[in-house]
Amino acid sequence: MTSRDDILGRVRARLNRNPENAAAGRAAIEATLAMRAQGPCPAIDSQKSALAGRQQAGTPPLLERLVEKSLAYSSTVDRVGTYAEAPAAVARYLAGLNLPLQAVIWPALARLDWAAAGLTVDTRGAEDHDLVGISGCFCAIAETGTLMLVSGPDTPASVSLLPETHIALVPASRIVAGMEEGFALARAELGQLPRAVNFISGPSRTGDIEQTIVLGAHGPYRVHLILLVQE
Amino acid sequence: MKSRAHRFKENAAAALANPVLQASMRKAKGKFVDKRAIAIREIDDFEATREAAKQIRNRVIENLDLWLEKFEETATARGATVLWAKDGAEICRHVVDVAKRHGVKKAVKSKSMLSEEAGLNLALTAAGIQPVETDLGEYILQINDNEPPSHIIAPVVHKSLDEVADLFAKTHHTPRKTDIPALTREAREVLREHFLTAEMGISGGNFLIAETGSVALVTNEGNGRMVTTLPKVHVVITGIEKVIPTLEDLATLMRLLPRSATGQSISNYVSVLTGVKRPDEPDGPEHLYFILVDNGRAEVVGSEFQDMLRCIRCGACMNHCPVYQTIGGQAYGWVYPGPMGSVLTPLYTGLENAIDLPHAGTLCNQCGVVCPVKIPLPELLRKLREKQVERHLRPWFERLAFRLWAWVASRPGLYGLGARFAARYLTWLADGKGSIPALGLAPEWTKGRDFPAPEGKTFRELYAEKKQ
Amino acid sequence: MRPRIGFAAIELLEAAGCEVIVPASQTCCGQPAWNSGDRAAAAQLAKKVIVEFEGFEYVVAPSGSCADHIKNEYPVILADEPEWCSRAVALGRRVYELTDFLVNVAKLDRVPGSFAGRVTYHDSCTGLRSLGIKAQPRALLARLPGVELQEMSGAEECCGFGGTFSVKFGELSAAIAERKCANACATGAAAIVGGDLGCLLNIEGKLRRMGDHETQVLHIAEVLTAKP
Repeated sequence: MTSRDDILGRVRARLNRNPENAAAGRAAIEATLAMRAQGPCPAIDSQKSALAGRQQAGTPPLLERLVEKSLAYSSTVDRVGTYAEAPAAVARYLAGLNLPLQAVIWPALARLDWAAAGLTVDTRGAEDHDLVGISGCFCAIAETGTLMLVSGPDTPASVSLLPETHIALVPASRIVAGMEEGFALARAELGQLPRAVNFISGPSRTGDIEQTIVLGAHGPYRVHLILLVQE
Repeated sequence: MKSRAHRFKENAAAALANPVLQASMRKAKGKFVDKRAIAIREIDDFEATREAAKQIRNRVIENLDLWLEKFEETATARGATVLWAKDGAEICRHVVDVAKRHGVKKAVKSKSMLSEEAGLNLALTAAGIQPVETDLGEYILQINDNEPPSHIIAPVVHKSLDEVADLFAKTHHTPRKTDIPALTREAREVLREHFLTAEMGISGGNFLIAETGSVALVTNEGNGRMVTTLPKVHVVITGIEKVIPTLEDLATLMRLLPRSATGQSISNYVSVLTGVKRPDEPDGPEHLYFILVDNGRAEVVGSEFQDMLRCIRCGACMNHCPVYQTIGGQAYGWVYPGPMGSVLTPLYTGLENAIDLPHAGTLCNQCGVVCPVKIPLPELLRKLREKQVERHLRPWFERLAFRLWAWVASRPGLYGLGARFAARYLTWLADGKGSIPALGLAPEWTKGRDFPAPEGKTFRELYAEKKQ
Repeated sequence: MRPRIGFAAIELLEAAGCEVIVPASQTCCGQPAWNSGDRAAAAQLAKKVIVEFEGFEYVVAPSGSCADHIKNEYPVILADEPEWCSRAVALGRRVYELTDFLVNVAKLDRVPGSFAGRVTYHDSCTGLRSLGIKAQPRALLARLPGVELQEMSGAEECCGFGGTFSVKFGELSAAIAERKCANACATGAAAIVGGDLGCLLNIEGKLRRMGDHETQVLHIAEVLTAKP
């Protein structure tokens, strides 16, 4: 007997499985999967816009909440209008930190005029020597100040992981309330889930040594959000 | 991992006598507790969320066989290979086989308690494959001669900065430093090299999502992302009870897991990983294996201990446990410490092999009220005690003592006489002082404290005198 | 051990206008047996208590853990015997912890004692988490004008008693008690007050071993009936 049959066989025996209740059980599973019931979702409000309840994507309370929670998670936040303004904002941020004006970027962002802002960019997955990675995001989760990134040929996961500095462009229209809304968007736009859906909330951290929080454990030391309020 | 749970008493005594451990536990005490208390206030209806989480976990466990088949179907459809392991030895066999198949020389590991259950690192080493723990805490333990973890999410909570400083200087041949960010940076540099060169990543799984055939991985350090992004092979090792139905259920559980564990609203990284990389994708593993592990879990399904299978491994029960706070996790002797460990270890390794653990709690229920999936831990501990009595596993003198006591307590006259005798005896022992420093009949009590002297006569005597 | 507590409880109940009877045949509620896994002994004693007490209007215990055991555990212990189980449930409805009864049922507004000084209150686990005993003892203490209640940090944390735990793992139990004592003493209280004798014996025993012979350890009923 294979281990699979052995394990499942013992579970079935313990649950008194028979053909009738198996059919009923499978029907219940399909119903659960079809229903996708949501648990209790907290209201999304912010200190600046105290509108209770879950909000439509892109509304000001969501944006303010995203900013508040991102800051609480040690990210930094800048606001510009459009994608076209993003390269200059990136250059300003890097110059402010005395970082080189050089980055690895998502292929999905290659259309922006990075050179005009004085930036040298490589369009590929990240490598160990890359100091700065620039990504977009699939959407952002206001509830927890979280970026939701999905992997793909034009959106490699390593760009938000290997470099010490991660900069993410976040269009305001892509700010949703919670993880539930993020998943709903993924189902609607992508069909099936891509290989990696990464939820990122601030720089990587550890508290393993004497519960002292240190930023930059294995991933980025810095996460910088550039909000595109007109996008 | 070989269990030392049968030596709980000695282990606990050693922990109490270890000044470094005591200092570390005192330092850590309350940190997670306070942070959790603040973090749960962000949830409008925390109790309703706990109840929803309990229902999610119950829904799966009540039809576990069918949900496992569903997960296997969806995961396989996305190109993953699903393997099954009855026990730790089979986990090791599978991982070594997979490693050999893909020419793996080095495996980087994100934290996996199942790999601790299996003693996987030893097996990999024996097969000529180098395992590298990449969670900072687990790495510290690994370079300290594979010391076992003392907490499921903060594995080196028992260790002092000085110990880590010594260990790094010795292992990395670098100047000794006691700056925590500098130590973290040093580990980052050492481990980055391993991430880049390993051919295989091994991770646990916080949840398996039946709807999509995905594994959800939760980390703060980002090592979970590293081991599942860079190596060409990714092996996920999880218990069979880790399935949840949908992505919505993941969202609900993620409101509870980080808050209960570290007091964060969310962990820094939550990854939902499905299938293998596309040919045109620059990163991600080409091969994905799931090892679904029984190792004692199947027997708990449908039993009076089934509630325990809801556990989402947050560690809140140990963070809040007065016993855990006092002795740390290694004293519990196996993979899982604290109240959840005191239930799991006897269930998974045998009641007779962990005879003290079900008694190693005060039944204060601090664990039960903080458990995010509402596991009635004190009740399960009490049921385990009952099982021990049923199976005649308790020492004969203890069984005799309870029988005798119950026999006397059923006879009011005798009971009154006994109480009167005890009160007189203790009063005599106290010898006019307020308390008794040594009690022959209860030597354990007076090991660390006195026994307050009684007032002389018993309530029953005085009440009877008054009535006359 | 502490007959004073029993008499103090009677005094408080009588002050609240109750007629109090202590059945001469009562012994133990059986909790130690149940918590040690001896179902048979627990059931035997549960039946005895049910028979002795089911004739009364209310059953009041000066201990949260005894009250909880009768109220919430008897129906579990006797679950396999439907008739006994329903008698247990019926009795359970009328079982109260002392301070809960005084505040919420008897509505005692004047407490008979007079006690002056700073006290701190230890919340016993079972009373707190199974019966919700938290505000009641504090409300009663507030009725003593001379009492200054100074809350200790970790008031709701276990003192380490745990019934048989205290004699199975003596050192461990005492080490937990040490934390409780340190927290309590840090308040500068002249008395540590609680509602369960087990906790009080543990705390007092640890204090005395630590060389503190000054701080009093008192049951709430003793404080509420203290004579000047």
